Amino acid sequence: MNTYVVETRQLTKRYGDHAAVKNLSLSVERGEVFGFLGHNGAGKTTTIHMLTTLLKPTSGTALVCGKSVTDQSLEARRHIGYVPENVRLYDTMTARANLLFFARLSGVENPDRRIDETLDFLECRDLAPRLVGSFSKGLRQRIGLAQAILHRPDVLFLDEPTSGLDPMGIKTLRDLIVRLNREFGTTIFMNTHLISEISRTCTSIGVLNQGELVFRDTIEKVTERYGSESSLEELYLSVTPVQAKGAA
Amino acid sequence: MGNTAANAPIRLLISQSLATIARERTVALLALLFLVLVVVAAYLGWSATSTVNAIYLRSVDYMTAQGQTIPSNPVLDTSPLALLRNMATYVSLIGALAAIVVGHQLIASDRKAGTMPLLATRPMRGIDLGIAKAVALVIAIAALVTFAAVINTATFLALPEFRLDGAGWSKLAVFYGMSGLYLLVFGFLGMWFGAAAKSETVGLLIPVTVWLTLTFVLPQITSNINPVAALNPVSALADAPASAFFQVTGWALGPFSLAEAYRVISAQLLDFMPPTYVDRVAIPAAASLLIAAAGVGAIATRAVARMDMTKGDYDA
Ligand SMILES: Nc1ncnc2c1ncn2[C@@H]1O[C@H](COP(=O)(O)OP(=O)(O)OP(=O)(O)O)[C@@H](O)[C@H]1O
Ligand SMILES: [Mg+2]
Repeated sequence: MNTYVVETRQLTKRYGDHAAVKNLSLSVERGEVFGFLGHNGAGKTTTIHMLTTLLKPTSGTALVCGKSVTDQSLEARRHIGYVPENVRLYDTMTARANLLFFARLSGVENPDRRIDETLDFLECRDLAPRLVGSFSKGLRQRIGLAQAILHRPDVLFLDEPTSGLDPMGIKTLRDLIVRLNREFGTTIFMNTHLISEISRTCTSIGVLNQGELVFRDTIEKVTERYGSESSLEELYLSVTPVQAKGAA
Repeated sequence: MGNTAANAPIRLLISQSLATIARERTVALLALLFLVLVVVAAYLGWSATSTVNAIYLRSVDYMTAQGQTIPSNPVLDTSPLALLRNMATYVSLIGALAAIVVGHQLIASDRKAGTMPLLATRPMRGIDLGIAKAVALVIAIAALVTFAAVINTATFLALPEFRLDGAGWSKLAVFYGMSGLYLLVFGFLGMWFGAAAKSETVGLLIPVTVWLTLTFVLPQITSNINPVAALNPVSALADAPASAFFQVTGWALGPFSLAEAYRVISAQLLDFMPPTYVDRVAIPAAASLLIAAAGVGAIATRAVARMDMTKGDYDA
């Protein structure tokens, strides 16, 4: 069986004349924690949207667990967990009711037990009876993560998972991601701006610049070659020349 | 079809959708208003009839004492079904608005909740979501119409002067079916633009504009019925002037003039059709409604299936 969980060839998404993602050929192996870096507007979210079957590519192909995201999108979805940036659930329902709905939609058998197991894993069983609308951003992120792993996906896509979280929330989330990867063997595909996150969480990185992949390597090789975290930042800046316009 | 595993997500989406819109305040408010008006329509019909009947009975006593011949009871000269003619107006006004809001909220509630990306990454087809929402709408409208039917039936049973025969009951049943069909057209319009519009306001505004056009503008073009007359169940059926203009507009635009089609059907079924009424429309009114409901339903279902699922929320 193919060891690649994510495999794209010449993947391209155009909006009119503007190519948000250009000829992206990228592979992520089973078990990796892949960090996808890039400036604002680099095309990271667009890439995740295509990989999670939400957006049709303009051209090129993408496979998730060997299933085409366009021609076999239903099969691909069985392997996917997705936590959008600023994930939201039904505010007027309790955490448990939300999770029950999504577990059933994913075809999880014995959903109640699975929800308990998942909440225990995320150390937030106490949230179950509470209304999601009353949650802080950190708690919402936790339940957002829960809904994405209920069906024990092979690959979990996270779009800026730490955005808006306080330092404590960031640390908790980082630990959860690492545990998820170790205990369930879940492959992680994570968009981020934060270089500090990458070095602590990821096993490999890719850098996207204006829709093009400009760097791809394992963290091991990167640290071997560049040493400390500050040099990782230098590396990032060297491969992503700042454009005068739009780069905030 | 018939495959329960494949239908499971659809059933789940239907119950979730119905539970969510039941919690929406605008939906609850409009549905309540509609049902209150149904009760009012029933009460007005009942009270007017009882009053006329009471006066008649007293006159009978008086006239008998005077030794005069007794005229027939005027209450029995009109069809009991005509009591409900105000229903037709309430359905096409508040009922249609309620249907638009229900259809719209079936989509808007998920868009506002920001859960579309979570739904669309589940192993189900895009069309499953469309079908689920369409079925949820049919159930919601059926519930509304059934409630109205129960109230009206209770009114008939409470009026001992009236006996509906078998034909009467079946005409009443068909009237509710047609009312449901008419409301579905607007519900599907709400659903369609709830899915297709970029903002929530525009998504509501377009169906409401269509409703205004159908209810007040088209009848004026096709049959010279002014907006105030369009509110009156009987005068809305006045004859169009016998000019060539209205002959042509009535024939050509008539099939699209759904509010008129619904009123014609109501008048036929509830026995308040003026004897002078001449139908000039190219296709039968019931066919217009059926085609419209099926057509708009298909478009709305497709619009939901093809929505942009990447967006958690409406555009800021
Ligand atoms: N629906 C759309 N229509 C037109 N252009 C779009 C659309 N969605 C994204 N874009 C453009 O595509 C490019 C890539 O956007 P994308 O959201 O993928 O970037 P990103 O790397 O996720 O950025 P950020 O770090 O800000 O989240 C941007 O220039 C954006 O303006
Ligand atoms: Mg992004």
